[in-house]
Amino acid sequence: MESWRLFWTIFLVVSGASFAFITVVVTVKGFRDLLDMFSGLIEQQEESRKH
Amino acid sequence: MNFAMVDWVIVIGYLAVSLGIGILGKRYVGNVSHFLVAGRELGLYIGIATLAATEIGTITYMYNGEWGYKYGFASFAAAAISGLVMIFVGRTGFVISRFRALKLMTVPEYFELKYSRSLRILTGFLVALGGILNMGVFLKIEGEFLTIVSGINVRYLVAVMTVILLLELIYTVLGGMVSVVITDFLQYVLLSVATILVTIYAVWHAGWGQIVEKVTVTMGESGFNPLVNPKFGVTFLVWQVLLWFSVHTCWQTTAMRVFSTKSPELSKRVMTWTGFIFLGRGMLPMLWGIAALTMLGTGVVGTDGIPLPVVSGRTLQPIDAMPAMLAQILGPGVRGVVVAGMLAATMSVNSSYLLGWSAVISQDIILPIRRSLGKPPLDSKKQILVNRVANLFVSLFLMFWGLYYTPPGAVYLYLNITGTIFLAGAFVCVIGGLYWRRANSTGGYAAMLLGAAGAIIPYFFLHWSENITGFAAFGLAACGLVVGSLLGRRPAPVVEEAKNLKQIVRED
Repeated sequence: MESWRLFWTIFLVVSGASFAFITVVVTVKGFRDLLDMFSGLIEQQEESRKH
Repeated sequence: MNFAMVDWVIVIGYLAVSLGIGILGKRYVGNVSHFLVAGRELGLYIGIATLAATEIGTITYMYNGEWGYKYGFASFAAAAISGLVMIFVGRTGFVISRFRALKLMTVPEYFELKYSRSLRILTGFLVALGGILNMGVFLKIEGEFLTIVSGINVRYLVAVMTVILLLELIYTVLGGMVSVVITDFLQYVLLSVATILVTIYAVWHAGWGQIVEKVTVTMGESGFNPLVNPKFGVTFLVWQVLLWFSVHTCWQTTAMRVFSTKSPELSKRVMTWTGFIFLGRGMLPMLWGIAALTMLGTGVVGTDGIPLPVVSGRTLQPIDAMPAMLAQILGPGVRGVVVAGMLAATMSVNSSYLLGWSAVISQDIILPIRRSLGKPPLDSKKQILVNRVANLFVSLFLMFWGLYYTPPGAVYLYLNITGTIFLAGAFVCVIGGLYWRRANSTGGYAAMLLGAAGAIIPYFFLHWSENITGFAAFGLAACGLVVGSLLGRRPAPVVEEAKNLKQIVRED
């Protein structure tokens, strides 16, 4: 039981830290991605109008 | 009422902003590919945000909290499997990179490419049925969370949930996947902040030492070791591995994110990094459930052998323990942020699921039936209209089913089984189609029908355990594909498949 307790404690800390770290990175860099998506969609619309 | 004025301002402010930016998405929708897969323009970070937000809802927090309350640390095994399988799928590209390379928009679309149009229609029907039944319990469970944490009178539950569903519906109908992705980004940030805040508060108030001690005293070794816990054991763990492989590859809402990424390579990276989020998605709410057991688990012993939660002398069900704990430990302001975060989680999941299942109804049932009847293909604008009408239909069904149906047993297992209705057959057919040349339509039909029967009959009519039901569904589906394919006609050569694909792409 003790080994399982230790295992889940370590797993929980690693999972929680990964969750927090990825949240920070995605929050900071996601906005740029969103703008890229908008410009990509506008380009697609303009191309389809040309054709 | 547990809400202070500041909490109301935060929650209403969030709803207004969410609706506003959601409607913004409409201006970027020019054709059906924009509406369903955001023009396949998703980058890495926005891909992670939308995939994570789609699969993290208040319903996720509720059922994981329930599991933590009932099964302690042993429940972490289910969360670990979901995350590790996702990381594996992302690293290897198993199924997903081939799916993305085919430029699909829905999972059943693959069935016409590999098997036949009629199998696509049958699969579309089963996917929509399983998916909508799965989503059917969301509203009720989410409503329970909101009423307990905010203290809103339960009489207003229907009105509150109707308003939330309407808000989601408005921006999903108008902007499709583009609106969903934009709102998912905001919602992902909010729900993640709420998740981290609640975890800190829960451990702070319950105390790590007390949490471990409570599980030890209440459950003994079965609260830590999933192999000796009677609810889990090896059969459960193997079933979970199988189930999560099928979810991460064939679940319509997950697959739509894969289809929406810029390239197959990028889809793998999105899946890998979201896998790490999935570890926390399960384990953190489970920890909240264990903290709720520590703080509120003082009632009589329930059917699971665990003391029921008691708040102000009133005995609750285990699933309500976690929100009841949050109502006690969160102060003004923080409570508003957390409820806004949970609303964000609710809306991101519901809007994505609305879009996902209505896409299947329109693209895989209505449009192929039209083609089979010899009617000309619809242009992009009409296809979007059909999708929007399907959205309305799904929403109406959800209101009625969600408010009148109560799932038997743990919510997590109800969700697993309703998903298995189509996942067992679909997963087997996709694996067979991608990796076994001999797989054909006869085998595909047998797999889909036996997989659905293997999930519905044992669970809803024979009341077998979830583990055995899961194995029965996947086992029958696999047997159906192999035996049916060997008995049926040899499959069409690869050239025929390519022709099918061209026809599908042209009509899109």
